Amino acid sequence: MLLAYKTALASPRIRASAIESTEFPALADAMDVWAVPRIVVNGVPQWDGAVPERVFLDRILAPAFE
Amino acid sequence: MHLKNADTLRFMPIFGADEEPRVRELLDGLERPVELLVAHGPEETPLPGARDVDFGAETQRIVEELAALSDRVTFRVETEPDGFERYPAIAVLPDGIDFGIRYYGLPWGYELGSLILGVVEAGRREPALRPESIERLAALEHDLSIDVFVTPT
Repeated sequence: MLLAYKTALASPRIRASAIESTEFPALADAMDVWAVPRIVVNGVPQWDGAVPERVFLDRILAPAFE
Repeated sequence: MHLKNADTLRFMPIFGADEEPRVRELLDGLERPVELLVAHGPEETPLPGARDVDFGAETQRIVEELAALSDRVTFRVETEPDGFERYPAIAVLPDGIDFGIRYYGLPWGYELGSLILGVVEAGRREPALRPESIERLAALEHDLSIDVFVTPT
């Protein structure tokens, strides 16, 4: 969660939200939330779990999101 | 609306006696003021099994208690402000500026720690990332929306 917030603080292009899954069950279902933290980029589920900073950046800066 | 557990909730402290000094210490380290905007929805819709917890009211109470621990943390409350997708929500605004940082839902349990650490990050003048990461993010030319689904336990 903190890495997402840090990237939002570092770039005006990035927005970062934490979403409490049990309170928004329909949305969590739509994003196939099973394990947490589940990372969703531009509305598309990506991966579960914490990753190192470099890996996090590699993933969010992937050409697929351009 | 009167909540069945309202009286219990009102007297239940957010921070335990051993946690409060630690949270104060973390917030004392803020290099710039951080404003928390509590966004309420049009009406509260209790979830089945939520034992009538008013998530919006509890979210506001947590933010009030957090702001009470530091001069550098302030808060305001609005109903259905622009820039929110669901409610209740908290926007973390360093220097009162919207960097797109949101917490959707009631930050309880383990997630209260995430909110506090989010405030700590927002309070830094420079992002706590490696220089090469900051460089890569500065070169970003398209918008990204990152949602992190969490649970309180």
